[in-house]
Amino acid sequence: MTSYFLKRIFYMALTLFGASILIFFLYALTPGDFVDTSPKLTAERKLELKAMYGLDKPVVERYFIWMKNALQGDFGYSLQYQQPVMSLLNDYIWNSFLLAITSTFFTWLIAISIGVLSAARQHSWFDALVTIGVFAAMSLPVFFVGLLFIKLFAVDAKLFPAGGMMTIGSKETGLAYAWDVVQHMFLPVTVLTLLSVGTLTRYFRTNMLEVIQQDFVRTARAKGLKEKVVLHKHALRNALLPAITLLGFELPALFGGAIITEKIFNWPGVGQLYMQAFSVRDYPLLMGFTMFLAILTVIGNLSADLLYRVADPRVRLK
Amino acid sequence: MKKRLSQIISTLLLGTLLVTGCSSEGSAPATSTQTATPSNETSAPAVSKVQDIKDGINLATDLSKLPEAAAKRTDTFIAGLTEPGGVFNPFFYHNGYDGNVSSAIFESLVDVDATGKPVPKLAAKWDVSPDQLTYTFHLRPNLKFSDGSPLTAEDVAFTLTILHDKTYDGETDIFVASIKGGREYKEGKANTIEGIKVIDPQTIQITTEKVNAKSLVLLGGQVLSKAYYGKEYKPGNLEYLRTLHGKPLGAGPYKFEAYIPGQEVRYLANEHYYAGKPQVEHFIYKTTEGDALQFIQTGEMDYNSFTVNSDNIEQLQELGYVNINLYTSSAYSYIKFNHSKPFFKDKRVRQAFIYGLDRQKILDLTYQGYAQVANVPISPVSWAYTEDVNPYAYNPEKAKQLLDEAGWKPGADGIREKDGQKLIVHYYTTKGKLGEVLIPIAKENYKELGIQFEAEMMDYNAVLARTEKGDHDLASFSTTMLIDPDDGVDAFSTKKGKSGFTGTNGYSNAKVDELLEAGLSTLDIEKRKAIYKDLYKELSDDPPYIFLGYRKILSAHNGKIKGLEPNPFTGISTSLPGIKIE
Repeated sequence: MTSYFLKRIFYMALTLFGASILIFFLYALTPGDFVDTSPKLTAERKLELKAMYGLDKPVVERYFIWMKNALQGDFGYSLQYQQPVMSLLNDYIWNSFLLAITSTFFTWLIAISIGVLSAARQHSWFDALVTIGVFAAMSLPVFFVGLLFIKLFAVDAKLFPAGGMMTIGSKETGLAYAWDVVQHMFLPVTVLTLLSVGTLTRYFRTNMLEVIQQDFVRTARAKGLKEKVVLHKHALRNALLPAITLLGFELPALFGGAIITEKIFNWPGVGQLYMQAFSVRDYPLLMGFTMFLAILTVIGNLSADLLYRVADPRVRLK
Repeated sequence: MKKRLSQIISTLLLGTLLVTGCSSEGSAPATSTQTATPSNETSAPAVSKVQDIKDGINLATDLSKLPEAAAKRTDTFIAGLTEPGGVFNPFFYHNGYDGNVSSAIFESLVDVDATGKPVPKLAAKWDVSPDQLTYTFHLRPNLKFSDGSPLTAEDVAFTLTILHDKTYDGETDIFVASIKGGREYKEGKANTIEGIKVIDPQTIQITTEKVNAKSLVLLGGQVLSKAYYGKEYKPGNLEYLRTLHGKPLGAGPYKFEAYIPGQEVRYLANEHYYAGKPQVEHFIYKTTEGDALQFIQTGEMDYNSFTVNSDNIEQLQELGYVNINLYTSSAYSYIKFNHSKPFFKDKRVRQAFIYGLDRQKILDLTYQGYAQVANVPISPVSWAYTEDVNPYAYNPEKAKQLLDEAGWKPGADGIREKDGQKLIVHYYTTKGKLGEVLIPIAKENYKELGIQFEAEMMDYNAVLARTEKGDHDLASFSTTMLIDPDDGVDAFSTKKGKSGFTGTNGYSNAKVDELLEAGLSTLDIEKRKAIYKDLYKELSDDPPYIFLGYRKILSAHNGKIKGLEPNPFTGISTSLPGIKIE
């Protein structure tokens, strides 16, 4: 176990190193930098600023400077926001996380329930309806549903706020604040859930169908166990195993933000921050955030593997 | 309620059916904001309907329709603003929206009016010496920052001093004003700036080395408190200021209360404001992405700006309770020539490119009538604007004749050639409405002249990078807001043309150089007017750019708000102190 773990850690470090090179050079080679994007500066001033920000140094040297600082946990100052990248991300990332974790929770809850039910009743009208619904949800573009929901539920019916994370100018604290946020979350979470539930439902339905046809399920049924027990205890458990891997991959997405949804609902998430940083070529911020996602991906991957080993004895044996 | 819900559900179902047909997994993020204002290409007939909207403020027609949320609000004004970033210092921000946030907190000595002429603010008046080199600002008596501390000439001197610091990395270029001793200070050869002299707490004298018409507004900029921002200042170290960017202190109409990243900036009326405490106690800039019409519809927001098009105007008119403001921007859009290309050395070819392009049609299709063709590098809102130049009305015959004269004769394939070279031009533009409309029209227009027009759309930074390298023939840009007429033409000087913003890649005209100098060398607006008139004539004859157009800016505010008059140079900030909520 330890040697396996150490080996994995080594590969992780290697992957991240590769990712850092890729991230850095992709950004460094994109035309234009932060100083260039400002139309107000004279050429001399641009040169001065480039020197001040270290943008005039050769790319390779810049990479090592960046790497050295990053290893010490310092991702530098955002050029545009004049704040440390980490504290800036801290301002936004949790908002994205909140939205993502809530919608992921509901997505999984709904997807598992529907997946199991429709697999148990394959070819029933319920199953057919679910299949149609799933395709409909999958093919809807998020901006359309988002705008439609805003129009219907916020502007016309005034049931929910039209966007943002709290009532404008609100000074609520504690529970009142939490309730305010919950109300603002309702529409974006619904949209995100609605649109991602489709794929996952199909995934679970297929998994369940596969498991149900296996021998051990037939044996369980033959033993005279109740259908409920067969489905929920024997079949579902096994059908959920591959989902652990899937869950591991979702980790970066939880922090990555749903850019379009955040935009439409004016949610103060990291997606907007990222897009803006890109348009002005705020490299420290872009690289810091992308690197952060790369680290999360690797960690998510590792934890999925480890969890899988815990959950499935067959993997452990190998 | 029940009925409403069933209505919603049926609309939803209908919508689902409609869209499932045309799934678009790949609808890129970029389209999401545009779609917020449903496509407008198809609404041609609507143009005539909304043409009756006039420039200026069109008053609300029916205030009784005001949503409850907006009607209830009596002491708070909420304006929309795209993504401010937290650098609330007028000299250090790199994001224009932070500039909007700062301008409510910081007041300047001199401001500009709606035509770009200087007007007194914190300075009651100013004198300029006969040689136009020395400026003496007389501050109003008893000025205070929002914390109650006095604002004196020392603060003005401090502000100007740190702009000269060698570690200053903001976008204000104080060296344009050439303050005496400024360079020496920057290079560390002097401890103070020779040209800045505090006469008494209410008077400051600034001596410059070169007459420059732009100096007055530059020197009379916003004022930072020395006691607050200068506590730790040592020449060559401005690092400490970063910690104060999020805690601004100024002498503007509003004082900073709180900033919630990605959500809003809150202000309180400043009781120490020189012109009296603003009547509206609370002011909030709410972060919005794009138009965010829904916040106006629900009454959560009082003011926002919108993409100008007939759909948006129609929607706003239908609301009934908003005042609609329409005004011409102070920026202009243009297509720059790469003057280092041999075919653009001949001004007749450049003229032909202008005559041969149907600019009116391009603007009409792009902005649905809410833009006008530009022929001079200054907006009609400015005091320097003139129409006394060649209008270059679309005239393909004239263009052909000019190309013939310049020696470009149609070849076998219809494409003009000269000395074995074919007239093939490469044009770069950014993705967007203007580019989408311009490319097909220009292609067709130029084909008729015998010019092969190759267009490419790319991201803004890529266009910038490629044009800076001179790797283009034509490229499209738009200026930022222009206050002084010189801002719109300084790229044309032989000295700056190679650098400047995007530059001209080698435009050179001795007469233009001379007039550019002359335009800056007097502070007398009437004299400058005459100089710019001559300059624009010369630029019209020997064009550095194809001037495209001046577009309109559309914004709307809740009709209950009185006294809000957005202006092309300063937006809503100048109106802030005087607004009232009825």
